[in-house]
Amino acid sequence: MTELSFRPVETAQDVEKTSRPSLSYWQDAWLRLVANKRAMTSLFVIIFLILFAYLGPLVWRADHTEQHLDKTSQAPWVNRNAILIAEEAEWEDVVVADPTGTHQAPMSVEVIGEARTTSVGLKWDAVPNAAGYRIYRHILEPKAGFPLGLPIGETEDRTHVSFQDRMDIQQKTYWYSVAAVDEDGKDFEEFTSVEVRPRLYITVGEALRLGYITDASKVEPGDTVLLDWHPLGTDYLGRDMLARLMKGAQVSLSIGIVAPLLFIIIGILIGSVAGFFGGAVDSALMRFTDFVIALPFLLFMILFMVWFGIEAGGSGIPAMVVALVLLSWPGVARLVRGEVLQIREHGYVEASRLLGGSNSWLIGRHMIPNTMGVVLVSFTFAVPATIFTEAFLSFIGMGVVPPTPSWGAMCNDGIRTMEKTPHELLFPALFISITVLAFNLLGDGLRDALDARLRSRE
Amino acid sequence: MPRYIGMRLLQGIFTVWFIATATFWVMHSIPGDPLESEKAMSPEIRANLEAKYGLDKNEFIQYWIFLGNMVRGDFGWSFEHENRRVNDIIAEQFPVSATLGILAIVFAGLGGVLWGALTALYRNKWPDVLIIILVILGISVPSFVFATVGQLGIVTLNKIAGIDVPVAGWGTVWHMLIPALVLGLGTMAFLTRLMRTSMLEIVNADYIRTARSKGVPIAQIFSRHQLRNAILPVLTVLGPSIAGITTGGFVVENVFGIPGLGKYFVTAVQQSDYGVIMGTTVFYGAFLVLMVIIVDLLYAVVDPRVRLNK
Amino acid sequence: MTANSLLQVSNLHVEFTTYGGIVHAVRGADFHVERGETLAIVGESGCGKSVAVQSVLGLIPIPPGRITQGEAILDGHQILGHQTIEGKDIRGNRVGMIFQDPMTSLNPTMTIGNQIAEPLKLHRKMSGAQAKKRAIELLEMTKIPEAAKRASQYPFEFSGGMLQRAMIAMAIACEPDLLIADEPTTALDVTIQAQILELIKDLQQEVGMGLILITHDLGVVAGVADRVVVMYAGEILESGTADEIFFAPSHPYTLGLLSAMPTNRRDVVQTLMPIPGSPPDLFSPPEGCGYAARCPQAMEACVANRPTQFTVSDSHFSKCWLHHEACEHRVLEVQQV
Ligand SMILES: Nc1ncnc2c1ncn2[C@@H]1O[C@H](COP(=O)(O)OP(=O)(O)OP(=O)(O)O)[C@@H](O)[C@H]1O
Ligand code: SF4
Ligand SMILES: [Mg+2]
Repeated sequence: MTELSFRPVETAQDVEKTSRPSLSYWQDAWLRLVANKRAMTSLFVIIFLILFAYLGPLVWRADHTEQHLDKTSQAPWVNRNAILIAEEAEWEDVVVADPTGTHQAPMSVEVIGEARTTSVGLKWDAVPNAAGYRIYRHILEPKAGFPLGLPIGETEDRTHVSFQDRMDIQQKTYWYSVAAVDEDGKDFEEFTSVEVRPRLYITVGEALRLGYITDASKVEPGDTVLLDWHPLGTDYLGRDMLARLMKGAQVSLSIGIVAPLLFIIIGILIGSVAGFFGGAVDSALMRFTDFVIALPFLLFMILFMVWFGIEAGGSGIPAMVVALVLLSWPGVARLVRGEVLQIREHGYVEASRLLGGSNSWLIGRHMIPNTMGVVLVSFTFAVPATIFTEAFLSFIGMGVVPPTPSWGAMCNDGIRTMEKTPHELLFPALFISITVLAFNLLGDGLRDALDARLRSRE
Repeated sequence: MPRYIGMRLLQGIFTVWFIATATFWVMHSIPGDPLESEKAMSPEIRANLEAKYGLDKNEFIQYWIFLGNMVRGDFGWSFEHENRRVNDIIAEQFPVSATLGILAIVFAGLGGVLWGALTALYRNKWPDVLIIILVILGISVPSFVFATVGQLGIVTLNKIAGIDVPVAGWGTVWHMLIPALVLGLGTMAFLTRLMRTSMLEIVNADYIRTARSKGVPIAQIFSRHQLRNAILPVLTVLGPSIAGITTGGFVVENVFGIPGLGKYFVTAVQQSDYGVIMGTTVFYGAFLVLMVIIVDLLYAVVDPRVRLNK
Repeated sequence: MTANSLLQVSNLHVEFTTYGGIVHAVRGADFHVERGETLAIVGESGCGKSVAVQSVLGLIPIPPGRITQGEAILDGHQILGHQTIEGKDIRGNRVGMIFQDPMTSLNPTMTIGNQIAEPLKLHRKMSGAQAKKRAIELLEMTKIPEAAKRASQYPFEFSGGMLQRAMIAMAIACEPDLLIADEPTTALDVTIQAQILELIKDLQQEVGMGLILITHDLGVVAGVADRVVVMYAGEILESGTADEIFFAPSHPYTLGLLSAMPTNRRDVVQTLMPIPGSPPDLFSPPEGCGYAARCPQAMEACVANRPTQFTVSDSHFSKCWLHHEACEHRVLEVQQV
C-alpha cells in the first residue's frame, strides 16, 4: 500500500444523475410484458389464431358447409391413395352341392378376391337344413349370443353361398357374419364371422365424376389417384373439419372479443359515473349493479336468447352478443368505480378541479386513462370467460344456430362419435383450450406488467 | 353479527324481488304465448283457458297477482305438463340441481385450498409442478370435455375392474360424485391457483417474519398463521364462483343425463310455460343469493375485521 | 470488545439474488453488544441495517437471500445460519425482536393476547390460561390501558402506537437477554415516538437486557445509546461510544450525518445540510471507499482502494484513508455556525 496517493479529487459532479432514465408508465409496462416469455408466447398464439380465423379461409378454400356423405367421420390420417378400377365385374353367385353334417353355422366365411371399398365379396360353406342365409356387417366384433341387429343382405337358397356388399364401404375394419335361417325365417343360434379391412379403390367412372381424372383413356386400372385431402378429417356429415374450425374460430373469437369490448365500455361508463359523482347517483347505480349481478346468469342468457329471437337463416350471434353484454357489465362497473374512488382521493384530480376542469373533462382526461390498466387486464380475462360461455350455450343447443359452426357447437357434434372418431371432439376442444389458455396467460402477464399492486387482488 | 345477518337477508329478499320482476317482464316480451302450442283450438276454448289462467288480464294486473302468489309461495300450474303444479315440478327437479351445485362448490373450495396449500409448500418440486399442470388443464378445458371424458373413463373402469359405477342418471351417491367433481373442476383449478399465489405472498408477509422471530416452528406457522390468512382471498372469489359453477351445471346435467332443472327450463322457455319459467328462475335466484350470503358469513367468521365491524 | 460479549458478529456478508442482479446488501459488518448495553446502528435508508440483524437471527428469506460469510456468536455459541438457529430456543426466548412497521407485523386474524401468549407457551411451556394471564400482565407493563379487554382484540382495533407496545410486550415476553428493536418508532408520530423509546429504555433497565436499536435518526441515538455503529452501503464505517461519535466524529460520512441533523439550540440558525447525492448501487458496489462519490474530502487513493479499519481509540474505529499515517489531511471539524 505504499503507492497510495492522498491528493484530493473533485467529488464527482454527476452524483445526482445516477438514477436510471425514467420511463412512462406504459413504456415500462410494455418492457416488462416483452420480458415475460409466457405472455409473449400467448400473444403470438392469439395473433396466430386471429390469422387462422380470418386469413385461413383465403388459403384453405374448402367449403365448410358442403357435406360428403361418402366419407363421414373420416380421420385426418386416413390413406388417400385410391387405386383405380374399371367398373365392378358382374357378380356371379357361388353355388355348391347340398351339404351334409350337423353344423349349425358355416364352418368358415372367406373373402372372394380382394376386399375393396368399392365392393366386398364373401363366400362360405353351406349349412345343412338351412333355408337361406343372412349376412350382417359390424364395426365391432360380434360376440356369440349377442343380438346381431339388422342384416345387410340375405340369400334364399341353401346352396347359394355367396354375397357381395357394395354399400358405402369405408377404410375401416368390419366384421361380416353369416347366420343360417330356417324355413320360418328365424336365425339359427350360431353364426360365423370374418374380419375384413377393405382397401381404398375408386372406379374410373366415379373418379371422372368427382373430377380426379379428366380423361378415362389416359388412365389404366391399377393407377392410383389422390383423393380430396381433409387435413383434420371430416365430421359426421362429411364436412371438412379444417374449414369448419376456421369458420368456428371466426364465430367464437368474434363473440369472445366483441361482447367483452362492448360490456367493458358500458361498465366503464356506469362505473366511472357512479364513482365520480358519488352520493345518490352512486348508491342508485350500485344497487342496480348488485341486482344485475344476482340474476342467474345462464337462465337469463337463455331467456334473452329466446327473446331476441333468431331470425330465419340467422346465426344467433348478435342475439348472443346482446345477451352477454346485458348480463356481464356489472363486474367491470364495480371495478372501475373502485379505481375511480381511489383516484379521486389523489390530489391531482382535486387540483385540476380547482383549476376549473369540467366534470366530463375530468372523467375523460384523468379518470379513464388511470383506470385503463385494470380495465385492460379484466378484458383479457373476460375474453376466455366469454368463449367458454359461448361454448357452453352452443353445447346445450342454446347458442349459435346450426349449420353455423362454433367451437362449442362442434364439440357437441363431436361427442356423439367420440369413441370411434375422437378427432371430431378433440380438435375443437383443443382450439378452445389453447385460446382460453393463451388469453389467461396474457392476462396474467399484463397484470404483472401493469401493476404489482394488482397482483395481490383477485 | 345478528344485525348483519338480518340486513343481508333483507337485501336478499329485495334481490329476489328484482329477479322475479326482471324474469316476468322478459318472459312476457318473448313472442308467443303458452296457449299457442300444437293443436288448433276454437276461440271459445281459448277464451276459457285464458280466463282460467288469468291471461286475459292486463299484464300489470297479472304481475301483481303473480307477486301476491309468489309471496304465498305458489307459482300456479304448469301449462305444458298437464295437471302438475309448478311447485311440484320444482320440488322434484330443484333438489337435484342444488345438491349437484353445492357438492361441486364444496369440492372446488376444499380442493382449491388443499392443492393450493400443497403447491405452495412444495414450491417448484414435483407435487407443485404436477398440480400446476392439472390447474392449467382445469382452467383451459371446458367442462363438457371433462364430463364426456369422465364418462368414458367410468365406462372403461367398469369394464376393467368389473364394477358398476353408474354413468348417467341420478339416485345414489355414486351418481352424484363424478358429475359434481367434473362440475367443480374448473373452479377448483382457479381457486388452487389463487390459493397458491396467496400462500406464496404470505410467506413473505411481515407477520410471518414476526412469528418466526418468536421461534414458532414451521409447521405451526403454516397452520396457525399462514393458512387462515391465505384463505381470505379464496373466500372473496368463492361467492362469485358459485354463479359460474351453477352455469356449468346445465352442461353437466345434460351430459350425465341428470334430471335437474336445466332441461325443464330450456323447454319451458321455448314453450312459454310461464309458471315453470318464473318458478325456476326465482328459486334458482334465491338459491344463489343464499349461497352468496353463506359464503360472506363464512368470510366474516374467518376475518375478524369483517366480523366485528358489521 | 470483550471476550464474552453477549452477541459478537464478525465479517458478515449477505447477498440477494434479484432479477436485476445480485444485491450485496451487507459487505463485511462487525459489531458486538454487551449485557445491559445499548448499541445503536445508524445509517441511511437501504444501507443494510435490517438485513444485518435479521440475518443473524435467520429471518431473511432464503432464497433470494444468502449469507456468504461471517459468524455470529451469542453467549459463546455460533448461531449464524438457518439450520443452526432453527429450533434452538433462541428466537423469541433469548433474543426478542421488534419490527419496523407495527401495522403489518402482527397477524391480522389472531388476537393480540394469543400472539403474545404464543412464545410463552412455546418456550416457557405455559398452559393456555397461564400464558393468557401473563400476556395481560405484559400489556400492563407496556402501559396499555384496559389490558384484559385489549388482549382479546385484533390488531385492526389498535392504533399504531398501541400495536408497537403490543409488539414490545411480545418481544420481551420471555425476558430475553437481547432485544433487537428495528426502527421501532419510524412508523409512529413524534409524541408517540418518545413514549415508545422511553418504554423500551425502562424495560431494558428492569429486565437488564442488551439492546440493539436500529434507526436512521441520530437525534434518537443521542438520548439512549451507549455505543453507536454507523453503517453505509452495507459496511460499518465508524463505531465508538456515543460521546465519541457525537463529539469527535472521525469519518466524513458521520460528519455529514451530524451536520444534516437539526440542532436543538435556539441561538444558532438551524442549518440542515443534506448530504448531496445518493448511496452507491449495491448491485455493483464500488471498488474503493463506498462513500467516495459523495465524500467532500475524497482523495485519489479512495477511489480504487477500500479503506481498512483504523483505530482512533480503544473503543473508536473508523474506515477512512484520512487516518492513514501517510495522509496529511485530517477529518474536518464539525462545523458550528
Ligand atoms: N428480500 C430482499 N430481496 C432483495 N433485496 C433485498 C431484500 N431485502 C433487502 N434487500 C436489499 O438490501 C438492501 C438493504 O436493505 P435493508 O432493509 O437492510 O435496509 P435498511 O437499512 O433497513 O433501510 P430502512 O432504513 O429503509 O429500513 C436494500 O438495498 C434492499 O434493496
Ligand atoms: S476513505 Fe476517502 S472517500 Fe472514503 S470517507 Fe475517507 S476520505 Fe472520504
Ligand atoms: Mg430496515
